Amino acid sequence: MTGTITKPAAIATVEKKWIVRGHERCSTARFMGWLAPWIGLLLLGLYATYLCFRYGLGETHLDNRFGFGLWIFLDLAVIALGAGAFFSGFLLYILKWKEIKAVINSAVVLGFLCYSGAVAVLAVDVGQPLRAWFTFWHPNTHSMLTEVTFCITVYLVVLTIEYLPIILKNRKFKSIPSFLVFEWELHKLMPVFAGVGVFLSFFHQGSLGGLFGVMRGRPFAFREGFSIWPTTFFLFVLSAAAVGPSFIILTTKLVEKITGKRLVKQDIYRVLAKTTGVLLTVYVALKSLDTLLWLNSTSIRAGVAPWEFYEFRPFGHATLFTEIVIFGMIPALLLLSRRLRERPGVITLGAVLACLGVVFNRFVMTIQTLALPTLSFDEFMIYLPNWVEYAVFGGVIAYAVIVYSLSYRYLNLFPQEMELQLAPKEVNDVSVR
Amino acid sequence: MFPFVDGFQWTFGHILFLTVFGMVVATMAVTLFVVIQRVLDHYRKDRVEHVQWQSDFHDLSEMDRRCRHELAGRVPRRECHNAFDCGECREHPKFEKIEPATTALSLEAFGLDFPADRLYHRGHTWVRLEDDGTMTIGLDDLGKRLLGAPDRVELPKPGDEVSVNGAAWYAFRNETPVRVLSPVDGVVVATGGPDQDWYLKVRPTRANPNLAHLLRGPEVSAWLRRELERLQILVGVTGAGAALADGGALMEDLPGAQPETNWDGVYGKMFLAP
Repeated sequence: MTGTITKPAAIATVEKKWIVRGHERCSTARFMGWLAPWIGLLLLGLYATYLCFRYGLGETHLDNRFGFGLWIFLDLAVIALGAGAFFSGFLLYILKWKEIKAVINSAVVLGFLCYSGAVAVLAVDVGQPLRAWFTFWHPNTHSMLTEVTFCITVYLVVLTIEYLPIILKNRKFKSIPSFLVFEWELHKLMPVFAGVGVFLSFFHQGSLGGLFGVMRGRPFAFREGFSIWPTTFFLFVLSAAAVGPSFIILTTKLVEKITGKRLVKQDIYRVLAKTTGVLLTVYVALKSLDTLLWLNSTSIRAGVAPWEFYEFRPFGHATLFTEIVIFGMIPALLLLSRRLRERPGVITLGAVLACLGVVFNRFVMTIQTLALPTLSFDEFMIYLPNWVEYAVFGGVIAYAVIVYSLSYRYLNLFPQEMELQLAPKEVNDVSVR
Repeated sequence: MFPFVDGFQWTFGHILFLTVFGMVVATMAVTLFVVIQRVLDHYRKDRVEHVQWQSDFHDLSEMDRRCRHELAGRVPRRECHNAFDCGECREHPKFEKIEPATTALSLEAFGLDFPADRLYHRGHTWVRLEDDGTMTIGLDDLGKRLLGAPDRVELPKPGDEVSVNGAAWYAFRNETPVRVLSPVDGVVVATGGPDQDWYLKVRPTRANPNLAHLLRGPEVSAWLRRELERLQILVGVTGAGAALADGGALMEDLPGAQPETNWDGVYGKMFLAP
């Protein structure tokens, strides 16, 4: 009887030694309760993955027409949202924006989760994991996906290297001298990895957009551009950089809501919001210009009546309006206004709309592009994912939640946390930029 | 894609790709190699304690890294970027000549005992230079009150070496470890403990030990005032800090008086070991 009482208490005491000094976390039992449903979802995702690997993509609703479905949409969306990692690294280490230090650790973890999740889903989508190395050994040198494959793989290695010092800073790990010294030296050279990350991200974010822009056989997506790069190349880079800071805002606010703690000062939200506001404004302007060019020049010259694409339901004119105005112009204006940025609710709304915007854009580029008929005998196709696709999707989300939760509990994701826990609110809310 | 794989052609595209990809991989490999070299170098030169202090200092908040000259009122606002090593600071000799703006408070201000014959380290230890060339190290009065009566103390043995900002000794209160930083470099010649006024007697490792980083004179009061402000925030408005406003003194055993406080966090902040 005594054993059953002392065991959980002993676990809690040992576990406490892994938590960052001064950080207050919920009890071990409560934390396990939070993880349990996510572990269940992860197991379901793993079962669905097994089915795909065992029986092939026939287990899903993907077919020759819709080879790009929910998973590719998820890949494009999370890679865009995960851009916060490379972009905040760029702001902190290259442009020396000191404020970003408050969220850089969380941004790196988010980036790592987004990219590793995307690679995991891609592995299920492509299948034959034992032959994964073929893509590097026998690549199609005329495909933008080759460049994406190389860049994402190397960038995932960069993100792992960036994640490593954060893990080694764990209270227990840093008591091991060799870990501490290695972490410190790695940390000092982080600007090099941040620079490499920016370089790789620029190209793979762009190539993901370029992938659709070069498809002459899909006039809804086809765009002209500079040299081998269609305009979608640059729009993808810009949109990812624009929403990266917004995704950091949203995730941080979500963690604050769930834990009931303040994690970063209000100024940091304002800096991130302004960054999204400025970049999103430029993006919306260029996206509008690109759309006008496509409507009035590119499509006409290709012999296509572009407005006809919007006759197919559910993709009406509202799609275009939603993407550019509701999820583009409105958040850009909300976050650009200094007066509105003073209101935390507006920042949240702007960040939500901006993130939805990039997700919607990736949906349009993937699903709408493939749904529309392109040949005279072709017809409009509707694709709906089946449970296996949703389960794999859910499994990746669960994986991200579990790893982020563990990181939040045991690592110092928000260096301002303890300070904010103790200081009165008004002390922290001083505008800095 | 690679020259040794079937289908490779010596075209501009292939060569460009190989060059760029090779440069990225080479940059990462060289950087990791440099990291490993530096780690080995620290081990060869026995600088692990030094690295730990650099790392801990980096983790301190901006508020905890204020320059001593800001605290003394010599400069309006300044953050230390030298890990409190004033001997390495190019500005320190210049600032030192400026008269402190703070009123010369008594060292016994705030009801704490900070004798003027000692030099003070920002991790709450003091150093007294003895006539025989040794240096005595102890915990300052605020440090003592923060720890109260420690459950146990782990002291180095005579003959062990301590390095500045490295661990001098460990104290434990309510199972919470406290890494007390050494204010100077030296070889331990004798050990005291919590029941005595001092903890260590050390012989300096150098003929002229560097003591530039230690606080002295009126700046001790200015620093102490800031430390009490920090403590007030850390223990909460209803805590020991409230005593300051009404002119009272801190209690002898703060953890005993206020057990509900997160002392683990407080120790990390006050003893500069986050």
